[in-house]
Amino acid sequence: MSAATIDELMVVTLARAFTNETRAFNGAVSFVPVCAYLLARRTHAPELVWAASSLAVDADPKSIPESTLSDGLWDGASMLSNSAYDFWSYAQGRRYNTFAFRGAQMDAYGNVNNTTIGPYASPKVRLPGGGGMADLGCMIPLIFLWSTTHDARTFVEQLDFRSGIGWGDGGDHRARLGLPGGPQLCVTNLCVFDFDPDSKRMRIRSVHPGVTVDQVVEATGFELAPSADDVPETDAPTDEELRILREEVDPTGARLREFR
Amino acid sequence: MISTGSVGFESKLRTLEEAAGEVADGATIALGGLSMNAVPMAFVRELARRKVRDLTLVAIVHGMPVEWLVAAGCVRRVISGLVSLEGFGLAPRFRAAVQSGEVEIEEYSEHTLICRLQAAGYGLPFIPTKAGLGTDMLALHPETTREEVDETTGEAYVECTALPVDVAIVHADAADTRGNVRVDPKLVWMDSELVKAAARVIVTVERILPERAFRAAPERTTYPRFAVDTVVEAPWGAYPTSSYPTYGYDGAFFEAYQRAHADPATAASFWEERIAGPETHAAFLDANGGPETLLRIARRPT
Repeated sequence: MSAATIDELMVVTLARAFTNETRAFNGAVSFVPVCAYLLARRTHAPELVWAASSLAVDADPKSIPESTLSDGLWDGASMLSNSAYDFWSYAQGRRYNTFAFRGAQMDAYGNVNNTTIGPYASPKVRLPGGGGMADLGCMIPLIFLWSTTHDARTFVEQLDFRSGIGWGDGGDHRARLGLPGGPQLCVTNLCVFDFDPDSKRMRIRSVHPGVTVDQVVEATGFELAPSADDVPETDAPTDEELRILREEVDPTGARLREFR
Repeated sequence: MISTGSVGFESKLRTLEEAAGEVADGATIALGGLSMNAVPMAFVRELARRKVRDLTLVAIVHGMPVEWLVAAGCVRRVISGLVSLEGFGLAPRFRAAVQSGEVEIEEYSEHTLICRLQAAGYGLPFIPTKAGLGTDMLALHPETTREEVDETTGEAYVECTALPVDVAIVHADAADTRGNVRVDPKLVWMDSELVKAAARVIVTVERILPERAFRAAPERTTYPRFAVDTVVEAPWGAYPTSSYPTYGYDGAFFEAYQRAHADPATAASFWEERIAGPETHAAFLDANGGPETLLRIARRPT
């Protein structure tokens, strides 16, 4: 088995954060988390729930199409649900407990911008929009973030627009708003961040092979919370995880759409 | 009056051209489907060809229909949660039009927009939600997403005010000429909320069935005839998006669309040759590969 590439390392790292208690779904352009849900279900978390495109419960696609909001992802589902009632009710009622999102910008508290670069009224770049992240950031207790472009343009001190809430202004801000849980991890192409339990700012939990802590600090546009003295290297995928990801979960390499 | 049996009932069946004529300049219209799925694209193309003006377009999560209506100059304002071409990239015409100020974007989250439509459908001034708390989205339009605090519990919430829609257009599998509609399977995305929020409802369908088919399986009826004003028979009417489970989206079209937009000249000829130029829905399908394309995207039972 050849060594893991960065996309594979990110998928496996995210997959290992999911458990048999994970009840997840996915939104647009979510190839990395979709691969991770499928991989987790085929390895250590067979009871994991994943609703493809937020509607096809327990789907088991043979491969992943160009859109993670499309019917190619729904094969083998045990239920095709109705968005307004089934999906949004279970999301607000906390039956669903896990959601992964990302954006063009992310700040130290895991808040995300997918709306505009530059001012909202006169954008330099108009981005797709917040979609469901503004909602689900408020409803779902276990939030996972990922980014395939770890640099100081993506990880910024001040977002141009807060489309989706992570830990908000930090500290107990979510609790004050009456919102459950918050971001757990942020998996990037350089490292894994978790969140300081008090300030709720990102801190380095592990660095990927060949990456130094200094490189991560350099590539991050905000000040990180202090991490452990000896930051470990991100655990390598096993041969079995790589085989399942390559041969069964994503044989056509749809996840690479997020890496170009 | 078209007779459909022993009693004469008024038929709601219209052509694409007639139905598109029901949308007036300046109207607020809402499009069914989501992203790559079940969008009434044949209708959207007809609207674009008619050069309707100053539309306010409610598009909860969409891509290609926003592109076409913006490209044709039909749109003044987009009310939306997300506009993109998904794995195929950002929506080029929409993006350029917002950046130049030609089109206004009134952004909501998906759920606050659903709440606004539900409030309109239920005849309520607003529907409350926790969605959007702590984001910058609320301050974009405090008059329609008001942040309040519940006196009893002290909890913060958002009041999403009713969003009335003039015309909703949705795509479905089948209808009869009286306006009974079947979405089969029940993949209605947010279409059910649009249908209930709109003063007028136009449904394009893959096929027309006799009324007795609905009476034989009433549990499969999604929208009743009293909620539907106009029915259009439009086979492959969601192309290039999908109509599950009959056909998938045409990825090749989306790729070619994005490629053409690398350059204004190729974008213009793509627009003319493959989207707006063809006179009829059939000619449009032909311009995009005809039967060869349709056989490629047809879904087979799995």
